[in-house]
Amino acid sequence: MAIIEVTELGKRYGTQAVLDRVSFSVEEGEVFGILGPNGAGKTTTVECVEGLRRPDSGSVRVLGLDPFRQGAELREHIGVQLQHTHLPENLKVWEALDLYASFYDRPRDWRALLEQWGLADKRDARFAKLSGGQKQRLFIALALVGDPKVAFLDELTTGLDPQARRATWELVKRVRAEGVTVVLVSHFMDEVEELCDRVAVLDRGGVVALDSPAGLIDGADAEYRMSFRLMAGDATDPSRLLGDLDGVASVSRTGDLVAVAGRGEFATTVTAALAREGVPVRDLRIDKRTLDDAYIALTGRSLQV
Amino acid sequence: MRTLAKLTTVETKLLVREPGAVFALAIPLFILVVFGSAITEGDTVLLPMAVTMAIGLVGLYLLPTTLATYRERGILRRLSVTPVRPANLLTVQLLLQLALAVLAVALLLAIGIGLLGARAPGPLEFLTAALLGTAAVFSIGLLIAALAPNGRSANGLGVLLFFPLAYLGGLMQPADRMPDILVLVGGYTPFGALRQGLHDAWIGAALAPAPLVTLAVYAVVGGLVAARSFRWE
Repeated sequence: MAIIEVTELGKRYGTQAVLDRVSFSVEEGEVFGILGPNGAGKTTTVECVEGLRRPDSGSVRVLGLDPFRQGAELREHIGVQLQHTHLPENLKVWEALDLYASFYDRPRDWRALLEQWGLADKRDARFAKLSGGQKQRLFIALALVGDPKVAFLDELTTGLDPQARRATWELVKRVRAEGVTVVLVSHFMDEVEELCDRVAVLDRGGVVALDSPAGLIDGADAEYRMSFRLMAGDATDPSRLLGDLDGVASVSRTGDLVAVAGRGEFATTVTAALAREGVPVRDLRIDKRTLDDAYIALTGRSLQV
Repeated sequence: MRTLAKLTTVETKLLVREPGAVFALAIPLFILVVFGSAITEGDTVLLPMAVTMAIGLVGLYLLPTTLATYRERGILRRLSVTPVRPANLLTVQLLLQLALAVLAVALLLAIGIGLLGARAPGPLEFLTAALLGTAAVFSIGLLIAALAPNGRSANGLGVLLFFPLAYLGGLMQPADRMPDILVLVGGYTPFGALRQGLHDAWIGAALAPAPLVTLAVYAVVGGLVAARSFRWE
């Protein structure tokens, strides 16, 4: 069953169209990623879904409710971690959880959340004294304290060091294991590849692709590379041998190192051709195709700015 | 109800932990006690000054800084995705700041009248002037909170307004030692009007209409503009 249904969503600020016919649906129990560069409309999309913004056109249903007209009912059942929000500096960790628990009809036990999210020894610490990772864990705990059916996590790991990012990923997996549907907004490829069941790629206010990370990689037909070294004294001309093969885009040679770039199944074709001609090679390497490559193929530019 | 009670408890704790709240209580009290040694039996000048300063510090400094900080830090926005409406938080804050102003004024009256032997004001006149004055000063505070882009600039605006207003309002020196023209102009500033209204109450006279009308205008205009221009994020 679709928990979130977004149909032909449109939003403009002044004359600037921020979202243009954005459609997707999120199934119960999945981690759904919304990926795109800054300014692609990710946050605006999520804000329309959360009921923070009113769309200009199209329709949004979350748990069967209109986020704008039936917001009061909806807000009982969603948990949100917003980008760029803080808590009052002097608020203690337990007070924040206790306070937010009181907002909901049927909250979770915040003491259990405190344990579960590794904040028990920070119970009486003030917000200002927490580390970046601890703040992030508190924000996730606050997003879950209302026992939501859907949790929205916006740029969860921005500003965290690599170790804290990895740790946060484990937490997101745990949220999902508890049966909460997760909508994850991110501009990190590795994060989306690691965590998401399906991804909507947003670019310039529109959905340019929607698939599983693996499906996006396969479907994007991105160029990737392979390389190998020729044996000493081998007189083979790799350009002549490989240049015209199916899928091969370019062949270059530096000393005994040969690099081949191409698309689709070109790597198999190249290794087969080398075997057929009896050219022995060493250090054969075929680069893994990543979501990053798929993204560049989809949008024509890199995300990692 | 449970939510509002919890919100009030938490916000009260935060207010107590806020050094600014202690300053708002301590500064007028400090001034009263320091100058209090020089006041004579039945003084009617010093308490109106100190009371005005207390209300001014809370309304012009503490209130806008707190509210603008809440908006700047996304606290209001975060609340708007929970079942609680952020307006509840603003209301709780406003009531708490009012309570703080009442506490500050009560302390001044207790010490000023009880310990230092200042004269007691006419109760009805005092309440009228103090209520109208608080409404006027808080409205201006809310306007600052509405217009300031962040907590720091709200704080800066509050302080920037406070000192000239305190000077014109006759809070820096007794009005009878100020040039007449400044007293006249000062009567149309919020602090000046409040202090004059309070002074009337203290000397036992009927309240003059000009300060009351001045305060009412500040309260209504400031409040309306603040309500219209307030941004939640």
